[in-house]
Amino acid sequence: MNLLDMVELGFDNLRRTKLRTALTTLGVIIGIGALTSMVSFGTGMQKNITETFEENDLFTSLFVTAADVEEMAEADPDRVREMMEEVPEPLTDETLEDIRGVGGVELAFPELRFPVRIQVNGSETRTMLRALPASMGAYKPFSETAYGRFYDDDESNEVVVRWQTLERMGILVEEEPSGAAGRDTTGKTRSVHPDSILGTEIVVISSTLDVSRIPTNPLEAFSLVRDIPVKEIETRLTIGGIMKRSAAFGSNAWNAGLLIPMETGKRIPSLGFSSIWEILRRQRRGDAYASIYVRVGDVRNVEAARDSIESMGLSVFSIADQLEDIKKGFMIMDAVLGAVGTIALVVAALGIINTMVMSILERRREIGVMKAIGGSENDIKMIFVVEAGAIGFVGALLGLLLGWVVTKIANFVANSYLLPDDAPFINFFHFPAWLILGAVAFSVVVSLAAGLYPAVQAARVDPVTALRHD
Amino acid sequence: MKFIEIANLRKVYRKGSVKIPALRGVSLEVERGEFISIVGRSGSGKSTLLNLVGGLDTATSGSIVVDGTDLAGMDRSGLARHRRHTVGMVFQSFNLISHRSALENVMLALTFGGVPRGERRPRATNLLRRVGLGRRLDHNPSELSGGEAQRVALARALANGPDALLLDEPTGNLDSSTAREIIDLIAGLNRDAGLTAIMVTHEQALAREVSSRIVELLDGRVVGSGEEGRAS
Repeated sequence: MNLLDMVELGFDNLRRTKLRTALTTLGVIIGIGALTSMVSFGTGMQKNITETFEENDLFTSLFVTAADVEEMAEADPDRVREMMEEVPEPLTDETLEDIRGVGGVELAFPELRFPVRIQVNGSETRTMLRALPASMGAYKPFSETAYGRFYDDDESNEVVVRWQTLERMGILVEEEPSGAAGRDTTGKTRSVHPDSILGTEIVVISSTLDVSRIPTNPLEAFSLVRDIPVKEIETRLTIGGIMKRSAAFGSNAWNAGLLIPMETGKRIPSLGFSSIWEILRRQRRGDAYASIYVRVGDVRNVEAARDSIESMGLSVFSIADQLEDIKKGFMIMDAVLGAVGTIALVVAALGIINTMVMSILERRREIGVMKAIGGSENDIKMIFVVEAGAIGFVGALLGLLLGWVVTKIANFVANSYLLPDDAPFINFFHFPAWLILGAVAFSVVVSLAAGLYPAVQAARVDPVTALRHD
Repeated sequence: MKFIEIANLRKVYRKGSVKIPALRGVSLEVERGEFISIVGRSGSGKSTLLNLVGGLDTATSGSIVVDGTDLAGMDRSGLARHRRHTVGMVFQSFNLISHRSALENVMLALTFGGVPRGERRPRATNLLRRVGLGRRLDHNPSELSGGEAQRVALARALANGPDALLLDEPTGNLDSSTAREIIDLIAGLNRDAGLTAIMVTHEQALAREVSSRIVELLDGRVVGSGEEGRAS
């Protein structure tokens, strides 16, 4: 008897007890469905995070700060004051030049980021402005503007606006404007062709301290409580490019509604701080930077560059370091989710054992006949093992289908109701080949193991008692 | 050397602590091509003897040498080979597999016999034609009469070309005229194909007519054996 014969005989028996086979298989389907959908969530999250890192080129990015800000934030106030005294040299243009001289460093520029209001065609919104050197246009995600281009000059007046920021202002940029002019009469959203928005003037309104209004008489200082001496300054720039949120997952490391050339950014007056630490630092030196972004040309040079910068007495933070921790976290999550799924499969395996033990009781006579006409114990054992394996195999395929359908639905629900409207579609689940093949193999192995005991029982059936006429 | 040599065969069944002796020292020799009928009352050990010769069961002591090989020395897979190729068994209650057609019942035996897939259908068809069932190939056992079912069982027993047919009351569930047909069929196979036949039966008259020798068992012992069949 060859394998094909065993499969044929095994399936033949399953066909005869359709309902029972279907119910037993359903147990496996649910088990595998639960297992794969859970594990695919873990792998999906891991994939999304890794992709975000890759898309934002974070593996070659380092963030340099003057002192360990986190450590300071945790210290008590007295200690902070001490630490402020200890802070060696704040990040300055000289520090920047030193970092640029480190081997492997391709690009280094200071963090320049502040909130502004912007106006385009009469619509206004608030957003975060970020100044980036033109050379960043060579890297993802800046190399992939949706419309127009990334500026190529650090002194340029051209800026890049985020698509979603424009959308928030009621400007829907589309290749094929839908609804045409009809919608702008409602005052809500108007659809415009990219060509008509590129080259348009954008007014950037930033705030800065109005030195002339700072009271000189200490008695007048109370007026500060009511009226902070801030003046607004308008800078007129041009929209040169439009970017869509490219990262599929989580917040973008470059999150800002407006990207402008480095030198242009430095020219825009602003309060210019993004944290209390920056204000404290600026007390000591006006041109200090909060942090410096460093891009290393090759992933292999990241460690060396990091060591060199650290030896300059600076703190270096790399998000890539955290990826390993994040991955470890996801592996643990995968294991926990996998264990829950495995429990479902173990229950299904008990179902297989139960079904097969019942089936052997019913088929004692048939087993006796098989033995009488020459079936060996091995033949009979194999028929039952194959039956169990078939349940596992078919259950795994349908279980994968079930898992896939469930995750599609879950994905749809999550994207429709849980995420903000402007977020790009996120695929929370991922079915890599190892998961698909592993699930099938696992299901078959578990089912074969479940079928082993009943199969041995079947092989031991005594033909004389089984055939004794009733 | 005789085809089958049974010497001092004993079989004791145990039910809990109670020992029930079924065979108490049976010795018997069977020539190749003989047709032996085993008669005796219920419980005399006829079926037990047949099951032991067929390798369905193992003896408590004594020996059964078939074609020079002692069954006592065989392991379970050896006994399976013996059942597959050396003997073909036929039972009173036919023991066909109910959800399989006549053809499929015969083909199952060929499957166990290791016959290549492509040859099974034509061989099974030929076997069923040989027992006169060429037109009932695709009928399930429930659609067959008793005589037809027993013909299928005979075809199945012949499937892997055995040297001997072991028949346990093959006519016990049949009316007299059908029984007659089946006995004639068996006698024909014995005569024409030279198949050794050992038949357990109640029907002494019929046995006397077709068999070369009748062996009578009583309480697990041979009490009579004679050439009183068709040969005399």
